[in-house]
Amino acid sequence: MTDVGRHPRIELLTLSEVVDVQGYIGNFRIKVLRKARYVDEKECTACSDCLEVCPVTKPNEFDLGLSTRKAIYQPFPQAVPSAFVLNLEDCLGNNPIACGKCAEACDLKCIDYDMQDKEVEFRVGTVIVATGMDVYDPTELDEFGYTRFENVITSLEFERLINSGGPTEGHLIRPTDWQLPKRVAFIQCIGSRSEKRGNPYCSNICCMNTVKDSLLIKDHWPEVEIKVFYMDIRAFGKGFEDLYKRSKAAGVMYIRGIPGDIREDPEAKNLILLSEDRNEGKVVEHEVDMVILSVGLVPNSDSPIIRQLLTLSQTSDGFFMEAHPKLLPVDAPTKGVFFAGCAEAPKDIKDSVTQASAAASRANILMSAGKITIEAITSHIDEELCKACGICARVCPYHAIEFDKEKKLPARVIEASCHGCGACAAECTFGAITMRHFTDQQIISQIESALGENPQDKVVVFACNWCSYAGGDFAGISRLQYPPSVRIIRTMCSGRVDEKFVLHAFKLGAPIVLVSGCHFADCHYISANRWTQKRVEKLWDKLEKKGVRPERLQLEWISAAEGLKFAKVMKEMEELRKGVTMEEIEYTQKEL
Amino acid sequence: MAEEADFKCLRCGHRFKAPYSPKDEPQERACPQCGSNSVRRIKEKAKGK
Repeated sequence: MTDVGRHPRIELLTLSEVVDVQGYIGNFRIKVLRKARYVDEKECTACSDCLEVCPVTKPNEFDLGLSTRKAIYQPFPQAVPSAFVLNLEDCLGNNPIACGKCAEACDLKCIDYDMQDKEVEFRVGTVIVATGMDVYDPTELDEFGYTRFENVITSLEFERLINSGGPTEGHLIRPTDWQLPKRVAFIQCIGSRSEKRGNPYCSNICCMNTVKDSLLIKDHWPEVEIKVFYMDIRAFGKGFEDLYKRSKAAGVMYIRGIPGDIREDPEAKNLILLSEDRNEGKVVEHEVDMVILSVGLVPNSDSPIIRQLLTLSQTSDGFFMEAHPKLLPVDAPTKGVFFAGCAEAPKDIKDSVTQASAAASRANILMSAGKITIEAITSHIDEELCKACGICARVCPYHAIEFDKEKKLPARVIEASCHGCGACAAECTFGAITMRHFTDQQIISQIESALGENPQDKVVVFACNWCSYAGGDFAGISRLQYPPSVRIIRTMCSGRVDEKFVLHAFKLGAPIVLVSGCHFADCHYISANRWTQKRVEKLWDKLEKKGVRPERLQLEWISAAEGLKFAKVMKEMEELRKGVTMEEIEYTQKEL
Repeated sequence: MAEEADFKCLRCGHRFKAPYSPKDEPQERACPQCGSNSVRRIKEKAKGK
């Protein structure tokens, strides 16, 4: 970080917050709120004169409250820039009666109580999101007694305890008596891999962190007895299995089974863990001096804000979704935005560095080229037909449509940002938007062709390119049978399925129409399939008003891996088709 | 307490209650009986039908 701070071509903005992002790949305009430090960072030498006179004492956030800091302080020892910061909320103020001691003590006169926050704007070509993660708060898991027993701490608190720059200068002590604990227990998967409480996913780093911590204890204090309670030890990386074996060879006991309850001996403050040893198949009591909860990782609490600013997508676990898990693992769905580190998923230092290097390279490729090649599948707005209603701009998940609400000028597509989902074309009621390669005419021709002969025997299926159509492919290569009455029409996104396509199919005599797309968390166009659902819901109302059974229009989310589901749904469609009478079809054709 | 609404599955006809608020973002819904996503919210005035 020091190198970054000194680099002539890198501008490091600390104490800053991104408040607005506009534009697109190659032309992002980013507004940053630079918060007042109240200390001149260029002049401050971190001499600590101010710190010595500051009368305020507050919990040190970096040490997770295990030590204290003053109102003026350096956030952590290697902070860049190496300058102090004054927390005005804690400070007693400049009023000489109240305090003002730090300003008096500072020979270089770095402290400025009147410093103001300021907004700055930058123009950048690419953005790398490296906003990190938070750790799971184990308070809700009351059985582990984190809030009830002082000698139960989290793995992050333990990291601070045994850090030479930490509150105990690296000495392992237990909080109640400040003595070296003789028996230590680690409990794994706290807040991870649980469907009921915490998170269902594996946090990736906790097993190896515990293995590393156990070895660290054994290196410094070999006499300490260590027990690790676990579900599975996931030592999958290079050299990890060796480290795990070393830990076992050093005498660390690995016990399969997570304790169901922890009790405290009120006098000795020792902790009694009740757990089932799944290897032995019996319930055992373990008395230890200290318990370390190996807490999992959770998405950064600010992720929803970042998601909105950069029009990103989040997976169901709350981490940011990459453009493609195999082929574009560091790219965001928004062009020109990349991920590094735990913003995208829990990962260790090595993986974070690897991803950061990849993201930097990906960004550099774009910046060096100075131009990009875009896909041909983009939308185009006919200015003559556009009534400047702004609906297209509202539905575009990429903010790729510029629209001036005040001037009521025709909307304009920024082709560099357009991903070609077609949601705008489906929503435009004036027919002003043409989706290249998936035009209305092309899709209507496919519908007409599909229903050209015996339409009453056909099921029209609109399938999105990335998930449902791929699910159909998967069903095919898996040799799964589905009825031959199905006629599949591919669109890039289910968001492209215009109301008029569905009505046209019914008008031509289709008994059943199915609209299918990606599951919500998998949408390749961030949120375009939310508009599909809204549109289908409106169509159900519309059909009902016309006296047409809404059941004839079906909706299904099918992923690329769900070949079995695809075949099953197609069979269900065939069953529904058999229930539609000729009278119904003729009535629908007359009414629509 | 979370608001609830009545839903009907347009595949199997099953009716059920599920959390719903008009202010919420659209959610992926599935019928608890057949798993279909063709789940329609029954609006107040249409409930009697």
